[in-house]
Amino acid sequence: MKRRDFLRVLGILSGSTLLSSCGSRKTKDFVSSVLPPEEGVIPGEAYYSPSTCTECPAGCGLSVKRREGWPIKLEGAPEHPINDGGLCIRGQSSLTRLYHPKRVNAPLRRNGDGKFNAVSWEKALSLVSESLAGSRDAGRKNLFLSGRTTGSLSLLIDAFCGKLGVERLPEFEVYSHSAVAEANGLLFGERDVPHYRIENADFLLTVGADILATHVSPVSYTRKLSRARSGGDFRWFHAEPHLSLTGANADRRFVVLPGREAVLLAYLLRQVLEKGPRRHGLPREVVNALPRYSVENASDQTGIPAEKLADLADRMTKARFPLVIAGGVSTSHRRGLEVAALAGMIQWVTGEIPGLVDFARNEQYGGTGTYHDMEALSARLSKGEAGVLFLSRTNPVFSLPGGFAFRENVRKAKLSVAFGDLLDETVQEADLILPLSHSLESWGDVEPRRGVVSLVRPVLGSLHDTLSEGDILLRLMGAVSGEGPATGYREYLFAEWTKRFGEKGKDALIRDGFVEESLPEKRVTLNGGKAAAFLKGAAAEGGEPKAPVLVLAPSLRTFDGRSRGLPLLSEVPDPLTTISYGRWLSVSPGTAKALGVKDTEEATVSSGDWSQVLPMKIQPGLAEGVFVAGRDFVDSPPLRTEERTGEATWYLEGIRIEKSGKVAAIPVLSGSPSQQGRGLIPDPSHKDEKHHHGTESLYPEHEHKEYRWAMAIDLALCNGCSACVAACYIENNVPVVGKKDHLKGREMSWLRIEPFYGEAGNVDFLPMLCQQCHSAPCETVCPVYAAYHNPEGLNVQVYNRCVGTRYCSNNCPYKVRRFNWFWHLWKKPLDRMLNPDLEVRAAGVMEKCTFCVQRIRAAKDKAKDDSRKVRDGEVTTACAQSCPTGAITFGNLLDTKSKVYRLAHLARAYRVFEGLGTNPSVYYLGGAKGGPEREGHG
Amino acid sequence: MDKPDKLAQVEQDVLSAMKKPGLGYLAALGCSATLFLTLLGLWGYQMATGMGVAGITHPVGWGVYITNFVFWVGIAHSGTLISAVLYLFRARFRTSFNRPAEAMTVFALLAAGLFPLIHLGRSWKFYYLFPYPTQRMLWVNFRSPLIWDVFAVSTYLTVSVVFFYVGLIPDFAIARRYKEGLAKRIYGFFSLGWTGTRRQWKNYNQLYLFLAAFATPLVASVHSVVSWDFAMSIIPGWHTTIFAPYFVAGAIFSGTAMVITLVVPMRKILALDRYITDDHFESIAKILLFTSLIVTYSYVVEFGLAWYSGNPYEMETFRYRALGDYTVMFWIMIFCNSLIPLTLFARRLRRNVKYLFVLSLFVNVGMWVERFVIIVTSLARDYDPYVWGTYTPSIVEVGITLGSFGLFFTAYLLFLKTLPVLSITEIKEHL
Repeated sequence: MKRRDFLRVLGILSGSTLLSSCGSRKTKDFVSSVLPPEEGVIPGEAYYSPSTCTECPAGCGLSVKRREGWPIKLEGAPEHPINDGGLCIRGQSSLTRLYHPKRVNAPLRRNGDGKFNAVSWEKALSLVSESLAGSRDAGRKNLFLSGRTTGSLSLLIDAFCGKLGVERLPEFEVYSHSAVAEANGLLFGERDVPHYRIENADFLLTVGADILATHVSPVSYTRKLSRARSGGDFRWFHAEPHLSLTGANADRRFVVLPGREAVLLAYLLRQVLEKGPRRHGLPREVVNALPRYSVENASDQTGIPAEKLADLADRMTKARFPLVIAGGVSTSHRRGLEVAALAGMIQWVTGEIPGLVDFARNEQYGGTGTYHDMEALSARLSKGEAGVLFLSRTNPVFSLPGGFAFRENVRKAKLSVAFGDLLDETVQEADLILPLSHSLESWGDVEPRRGVVSLVRPVLGSLHDTLSEGDILLRLMGAVSGEGPATGYREYLFAEWTKRFGEKGKDALIRDGFVEESLPEKRVTLNGGKAAAFLKGAAAEGGEPKAPVLVLAPSLRTFDGRSRGLPLLSEVPDPLTTISYGRWLSVSPGTAKALGVKDTEEATVSSGDWSQVLPMKIQPGLAEGVFVAGRDFVDSPPLRTEERTGEATWYLEGIRIEKSGKVAAIPVLSGSPSQQGRGLIPDPSHKDEKHHHGTESLYPEHEHKEYRWAMAIDLALCNGCSACVAACYIENNVPVVGKKDHLKGREMSWLRIEPFYGEAGNVDFLPMLCQQCHSAPCETVCPVYAAYHNPEGLNVQVYNRCVGTRYCSNNCPYKVRRFNWFWHLWKKPLDRMLNPDLEVRAAGVMEKCTFCVQRIRAAKDKAKDDSRKVRDGEVTTACAQSCPTGAITFGNLLDTKSKVYRLAHLARAYRVFEGLGTNPSVYYLGGAKGGPEREGHG
Repeated sequence: MDKPDKLAQVEQDVLSAMKKPGLGYLAALGCSATLFLTLLGLWGYQMATGMGVAGITHPVGWGVYITNFVFWVGIAHSGTLISAVLYLFRARFRTSFNRPAEAMTVFALLAAGLFPLIHLGRSWKFYYLFPYPTQRMLWVNFRSPLIWDVFAVSTYLTVSVVFFYVGLIPDFAIARRYKEGLAKRIYGFFSLGWTGTRRQWKNYNQLYLFLAAFATPLVASVHSVVSWDFAMSIIPGWHTTIFAPYFVAGAIFSGTAMVITLVVPMRKILALDRYITDDHFESIAKILLFTSLIVTYSYVVEFGLAWYSGNPYEMETFRYRALGDYTVMFWIMIFCNSLIPLTLFARRLRRNVKYLFVLSLFVNVGMWVERFVIIVTSLARDYDPYVWGTYTPSIVEVGITLGSFGLFFTAYLLFLKTLPVLSITEIKEHL
C-alpha cells in the first residue's frame, strides 16, 4: 500500500468512527458546542454581554466575558453612565461570589436541633405562605427588611408587601449617608444624596468622603476626578481625621481633629460669603447664626496650621466652580449633621447647585433607613410581635453595634426567612434560608442613580438550586392568591420595561445594558428659616469626640463587611498597609514609639466594657491620638446612634490601648514602607543620576520587526485602588494561596501595588509588574531557555520548559516573578472561572506577567484575518482595562502614532532602576501628583 | 626490623582497618544510612507536595540547598589539592592524607551533586539541563552559569573518580593477596591484573602524573564556576569580580578542615599514628592558616568594594549582612573563619592534634555559615524595598541537610572497610 492510500483509509476509518458515534445521548451538547447557536458559543471565542455589578450599592455596568458559556471575567462596561469602563477591586472579585464554593445551594430549613436541612423550593415556599397566613391570623406583624434596593425589584417588593399584608421596613445600609440626606432635606427639602459632577469643577474639597474607595459610587467619582484632573487647572483638597486612600491621593491633605470639620466648613463658608465666588446670598438670620472664626481660631480648633487654612480659603475663593463634598467618617459623628449642612450651605452660596450638585439625578438613598429604624425594629422584635421576618441581602446581625442585641431579637420572630448567597451571620440566624441566584444568574435591573437604569442579565443558568429574589416573591404572591402579576420575574421585568421605556427602549436596555433618561433640571432653594434655626441650635452644642479616638472606617476591600467572604479580596493586600489577611489597628508612628511596639504586635483596645484584641500596624501619615480600624474589623462595637440623623457614630472615644505583648500572625507584604531613597518613584534628587553602565553587549541586539509591546503607567493618576491587581488575578488564573503562604511572602500576584511613604507621611503608589526588559537579567540565567525573549519584545515564560531553578527570580531586580511552591487547586466550582486561554501552572514552575499575551494573540489573530496589523487601542491588558482612572496605557512602541509611544516620550517618563541597564518596556510617568501635605504641580 | 618486615607491617597496619566491623562501626553506619534514607524520604515528600515545604520563599529563592551545594563542592576541593597539587609539588606529607582526601572528594561531590537536583522545582525534569539532541530542537542556554555548573561538576566528578581509582590500583593488587574467595576475585578484578612489573610502574607513574596535572586546573576552575553562579547575577553582594579566587580559597580552606575532621579520628581508631604524624598535621594546619588569611582578606575587600562603590544597593547589602537580620550568622562566620584560625600562628597549637580537630569543626561550621550568609543576605535585600524579606530554613531543609551528611559518612564508612585507607605503595616508597 502506498503512503497516500494508507492515509486515505485511515482518514475514512476515523471519520466514520467519529460520525457513527454522534448518535449518543451527548449529541446535543456536542453539536451545540460546535455550531454557533443564536446567542453564540463558538469554542475558543470570547463573548461579552452587558450586566450590572451588585457587589455594592453603586451599580456599575459590567461587560461579562464568557468562554464556552461560562463567565470568566468581569470588566467595566465602556460608556456606562456610572463607571464608564472602570471596575473596582470588589467588582472584579464579584465573580468569585458567583463561583464561591460555600454558596448556599438549596433552600435550607432549621430543624429542631438547630442544624440546617435541605428542603425543596415547594416545601420552603409553602412553609412561608402558611406562616404568613398563620401570623396574620395570630395578629403578628410580617416584616420585610432588605438592603438598599432600587429599580423594578423595589416596586415588586412593594407589590408583594401590599398583596400579602407584609410591612416593608426602611432599607438597612451600614453606610446610609443619613447625615448628608438629612441635611439636604433640612436645607433644600430633598432628603437624598445628590449626584456630584466633579468633572465640571475646578476646585474640589472633600471632607471625610472616601470618594475613591467606598463613598457612594467610587468608580464613578474616580472617573470624574480623572477627567477633572486632566483638565489642567484643577485642584483637590481633602480633610479627614484619619488616613484614607482618598486622602492619600488628594493634591493636599489636611488632618483635622476628630469632630472639628464643622469649624473648618464654617470658616470657609464665611470666607466664601465675604470673598466669593458667590451666586446666592444667605438670609441675614442665617449669617448671624453662623459661628464666626478667625484664621487663628479656626486653626486652633481644627488643628490645621493657620497658613494652610488661609491658603485653602484663598484657593477656594479664587476658584470659579468650587465643589465641596462632605461625607464618610466626617458626617458620622455627633456633629455630622452640622458638617453636612455647612457643606450644603457652601454648595448653595457658591452656586454649585444645580450645576455641580445635581438633585435631579440623586443617588437614591432617600428610601434607605437609619439606625433609628433599626432600633425600632429591634425593639419590636424583642417584644415578639414579629411573625414572618424577611431578611434580604442584608447582614444586620454582623453590622449593627453591640447595643442592638439583634442576634437574640431575630430569634424571637416566629419565622425568620433570609435571602442570601453565603452563610453570613444573619443568614445563619434564620429559620429558613432561601438561596439567591447571583446577579449573573438572574434577570433584573437597578437604578443606582435616578434616571440611570442598568440591566442585570443572566449569562448562565443557575449553578445551584437557587432563584432570584424577584422569582421568589412572584412565586409567593402566586402561591397565595393563585395569580401573580406575571409568570416569572423575566416576564414581569419585560412588561415593566416596556411600560417605562416603550418597546424600543426595552430592546435598547437589553442590548446596551443601560438606559439613561433625560431628566429636567431640578432647582432647589435654601430654606433660610430652617437653616437659621438649625444653626442656632447647633451652635450651643459641643460634643467633639474625646481623644484618643478609634475611627471605624469603611474598607476598600470589604466595603461594610459584605465582601469579606470572597477569597480574592483577602488575597489582594490593602494598598495603604499592604496587609492581606486578617484585621488590624492602624496606629500613628508617634503612638507606636510611645508604646514601644512594632508592626503586628497585638494591642487590646477597650472602651467601657467593650474590648477587642487587634494586631497593630504603624501607619505613617496618621495623626497622634487617632487610631483606625476597618468597620468590619471590630465585633459589636459600642457605637451610639446620633439623635438627629440616625447615623451611627463611627467613633469610639476615650479608648484605652494596651499592648498585650503577643505578636499576631498577619501578613504585611511590604518589606519597607519607604523607598529608601532608591528613586523607584524619583524625586528631583534623582534627576541628574548618572548611569554608569554602558550598553555594550557580547550578543546581538533583539530585533523587533512589527511590534514591541510596551506599557506606560501614569503615577499621577494611579491611586492605589488595586482593581488592576484583582483583574490580573482573574484574567491570568493566578492562584489564591491563602494566609499561610502570605506569611512566608509567597503571594502569587503578577502585579502589585507598592505604597511608598515619604517623611511627611505622604504616600505614592507604584504598580509593579514584569517590566518586560529588553536586556532581561532573568533570560540569561535560565539554563533551559524557559525565560526567553520573543520577537515582540516580551519576556515570555515557557511553563512546560521550566525546571524551577528560581535563578530568574533571584536575578530579577523588580522581583516580579512568582514561583509555584505547591500545586494550586481551584475548589469547585471556582475552576469554572479559569481562563481557558492560559494553562494553570504546575508546582515547581516559575510564572509571571507577560502583558496578557493571550489577549495580544487574540488581537493578532483577528488582525491577521483582516490582513492588517493590530491597531492602537485594539488590544489592552486586563489591568489597563480595569483601571478606573485610566492610568495604564498599553500598546506598540514601534508605532510612532500610538498613545504609548507618545507617553513614553514625555519628559516625565522614566523607568525604574534605569541605571541597571535592563532597558524595561514599562514606562512610568512620575512627578505630577501632589500628595498629602505636599503641593502638586498639576 | 628489616625492610621486608617493615613493608609487610605497613600492609598489615593499613589493611587491618578492613577487619570485621565492630559494633561501634555498625552503629555509626546505621546512623548515617538512616540519615541518608531520611533525605530520600523528605525529597520524595517535597516532590509530591511542592517546593513550598522548604523554607525558601520570595525574594530568597535559594537557601540551604544551594548553601549545601557550595559547601560540599568546597569540601571536595582539598581532595584534588592534596592529591594532585601537592603531588606535583612533591610535598611528602600528602602521602598521609591523599587517600582519605580523595575519597572525601568523591563522596562530597556525590552529596554536592544531589543538591542542584533537590533544589529544582521539578526535579524529575533534571535532564532538561543536559544538551541532548531532540526532535524539538530544544537546547540549553550556554549563557547561564547553571549550565556551566553542570559541566564543571560533572567533569570534576569524572576526573576525581578516575584519579581516585587509578591511585588505588596497586593497593587493590596488595589487598587481593590478603583476601580469599569472592573478595579476592573482586579485588583482583579491580586491580586490572596488576603485577607490579617495572613496565607497569613506569606507565602507571606517567599516567598518575598526567592525571595530577590534568586535575590541578580543576581546583581553580570548578569553584570559580560555582562562584559565577552568583557573580554573574546582578544582585548586590553577589555581583563582584573577586568571587572566583575568594571561593577557591574558601573551598580549599573548608576542604582542608574537613580532611582534619576526618583523619584525626581515623588515625586514632585505626592506630595509624606511625603513618600520619604530628609533622604532617602541622603542614596541613599551615594550609589552613594560609587559606584562612585569604578568606579574611576577601571579606575585607568585599566590604571595601561596597564602601568605595558609592552604590547604595551594595552599601545597604553589606550593612545588612553585618548588622541586619542575619547578624549572628555573620559574626559566627567571622569568628570561625577569620579569628580562631589566627591561633595557628602558634606552633604548639599547630602540632596539637586535638586542638586542630576542634578547630576544624569550627571552620566547617564557619564555612557553611559563610555560604549561607552570602546567599541569603544578598537575596533578602536587593533592589526593590517592597519585596525585602527574610528566610528561615524549614524542617525539611534541615532534614535534607543532615541527610547529605548521612550520605557522605555512609560512603566514607564503607570506604574505610572496603578500600585501603592509606596509599600502601606510597608509604612504602617513603620508608
